[in-house]
Amino acid sequence: MYYEEIAEEDYQYGLNAGFYTGDGRQDLDYDRDFTGLPLGSGMPAPGAPHNMPDMVHDFLLYLYKAVTERNIFEIQNLYESTYAQLTDTYFKSKPWPDENEVTAVVGTRENYDVFIIFYKELYFRHIYAKCQPTIEQRCDSYANYCSLFNLLLNAKEPIAIELPNQWLWDIIDEFIYQFQSFSLFRMKASAGKLSDYEMAQLKDNLKVWNVHSVLNVLHCLVDKSKINEQLREYNSGRDPDLVADEFGKQSLYKMLGYFSLIGLLRLHSLLGDYYQAIKVLENIDIHRQPLQNLSIARVLACQMTTFYYVGFAYMMMRRYADAIRTFCNILVYLQRTRQMYHQYRTFQMDMIEKQTDQMYVLLNICLVLHPQRVDESVSSVLHEKYGDSMNKMQRLDIAEFENAFRYACPKFLSPVAVIFENDQNLAGRLDPWKQQLQVFMDEVHQQKNIIEIRSFLKLYTTISVAKLADFMKMDEKTLKVHLLAYKHKMQNMVWTEEKGKSGLEGEFLSGSDVDFYIDKNMIHVADTKVARRYGDYFLRQIHKFEELYRIISSL
Amino acid sequence: MAEKMRENISAMLKGIDRYNPNNLACLENYVKAQVKENVYDLEANLAVLKLYQFNPNFFQEQIAVYILIKALTNMPNTDFILCKCLIDPSYLETEIIKKITDIHQLLETCQFREFWNEVAKTPELFNDINGFHDSIRKYISYVVNITYQRIERSFLKEILGNLGEAELNRWMSLNGWREDDYDFVFIANQEENIKTKNITEKIDFESVAPVLATYR
Repeated sequence: MYYEEIAEEDYQYGLNAGFYTGDGRQDLDYDRDFTGLPLGSGMPAPGAPHNMPDMVHDFLLYLYKAVTERNIFEIQNLYESTYAQLTDTYFKSKPWPDENEVTAVVGTRENYDVFIIFYKELYFRHIYAKCQPTIEQRCDSYANYCSLFNLLLNAKEPIAIELPNQWLWDIIDEFIYQFQSFSLFRMKASAGKLSDYEMAQLKDNLKVWNVHSVLNVLHCLVDKSKINEQLREYNSGRDPDLVADEFGKQSLYKMLGYFSLIGLLRLHSLLGDYYQAIKVLENIDIHRQPLQNLSIARVLACQMTTFYYVGFAYMMMRRYADAIRTFCNILVYLQRTRQMYHQYRTFQMDMIEKQTDQMYVLLNICLVLHPQRVDESVSSVLHEKYGDSMNKMQRLDIAEFENAFRYACPKFLSPVAVIFENDQNLAGRLDPWKQQLQVFMDEVHQQKNIIEIRSFLKLYTTISVAKLADFMKMDEKTLKVHLLAYKHKMQNMVWTEEKGKSGLEGEFLSGSDVDFYIDKNMIHVADTKVARRYGDYFLRQIHKFEELYRIISSL
Repeated sequence: MAEKMRENISAMLKGIDRYNPNNLACLENYVKAQVKENVYDLEANLAVLKLYQFNPNFFQEQIAVYILIKALTNMPNTDFILCKCLIDPSYLETEIIKKITDIHQLLETCQFREFWNEVAKTPELFNDINGFHDSIRKYISYVVNITYQRIERSFLKEILGNLGEAELNRWMSLNGWREDDYDFVFIANQEENIKTKNITEKIDFESVAPVLATYR
């Protein structure tokens, strides 16, 4: 019944009639009488809030209608463009209408209870992004996530809702982000930076944003969607539908399952568990250029997250060759598709730009520790933007390693919900960020002699141990130890295609550009000389000239 | 016993059950069994450290020490780093654990002489660990294998932990090393594996044909 009435309204307003007229008077006309809108008697007009702009009012109704009708295309349009526009116009620094206001506009009707949960997810996400969430809002948002996931997971049959992949990704992404944010908030408590009221609230809500419940949700979504089984079938060239049940076949569950795997990758990394981080992706084959053909290809933020965290975990595990390959894969892809995604995905651009920069910085670190030839388009950006930093690190500027790591690492978390009052020393020591930095810097310290030895070895084809010791101003015994360490550190566990699919497996390979062996007292150096590549360069020039020629001849 | 436990344990680590503190006692026993029987299961050991990370009250230093020492025996793999990332920094500074991370540092930087000296200072720390010394010798042999063609006999003896003649001969035959002349041991022929590589670009006709065809 209500359904029909809304559909009617649709024709009069038209979904693309332009939500933002640009006319300030009309858009900000708060006193406008909503009862004048042709919404029919079914609408709870009398209770409608009087300070809600028309555009927002209409948006809520359209969104409700699109969600109810499972009109993916329309939801996507509302979510990705209208919502962002309205946020920009009306809600730059204040929250979207709350639950009561929305209830007043939409009315409690069919599917409303489902709709409002997803709306509130947006509502809280916006508060986190644009305002400072209060402790109550943090807890309420958590409660809303609980209702959302209970709704999905406790259902006897799949709930009748479809959402665009981008939105589904954002739900998982935001869920972890808010958990992360809450953990940092708790750490503030330990550092004594919260008010008494906030402390009291925090102690009353120890169960809120608990690491177990976050892990539990992600694992349950993975299980419910049978995504691992589906991926295994897909990888061996069979039809994933054969192993998926009614839940797994539905896009909503399937994609939430997939995104939960990526969510787990991120969560494990934030907790310093790099082994699990890589292991959780064992059924996702990220090494074999699946970028273009996976259905997730449209959710750029998901791909960024995947490659960033996989690369980071490899770096921490001292699998530099794998880290370098992972970062290069995504960075080359980003360069090639830059034009495309710049046009239609503006609303997450800041995050994507930042994460791209971070990946360049991480790649830079890996290349200083493990020099290798990489794709030319990537290495030219590295030299242009991060050449200084690279030089400093090569000259063993330890502080520069620390700065680079500080900038590019994720915001690590402490999983423990304990609050240490009035013990700032302890809180500082427990800072999980410091712990991971320490592990990384220990590694850098272990490798700094190697960087220096490499710079000498480059100049020789053979050199005696005694002579090199002389150059390095150390005795032969010490040098021999460093040479052994050089060989040990340059052997990386590297993932190889034949070895099967798990990203954890691999074999020890030396990817070093300057390699050597010792025979008696003589060091025999073998370096890898890569001749300049002309092919790409000429091809690019050919295309360029052809383009020029075309333009000129059309003049 | 450890082998028998392996299957049960692996079932215990599936999905969300991995974080169930009720499994801790069983997992800790499994660590002890690994120590006694010279077997190794990184994944189970990381699960123990994970449970300690989530439930600091359950932390048992002795178990963490066992796990770290077992990780040393699996070098050159980077298991030790994985463990270190999960252990609360306040525990990393306790005397025993600090000592083990220092020892790890020595092994990573191939200061084997210093390593054996440190071990000799507190032998009781490692005596429980079945096969510890030989596991480390295996790692040292691996580093020698990738570095040397011929190595001074005295240096080799020293880094393997001041071996006697008989023991050295045993290790040599185990690794397939042989006597070169009296002062040197022949490790492997490296000339074949480690040589200067020149990578030049090869452009075949197929890859440029489409371009030529377009701009005819």
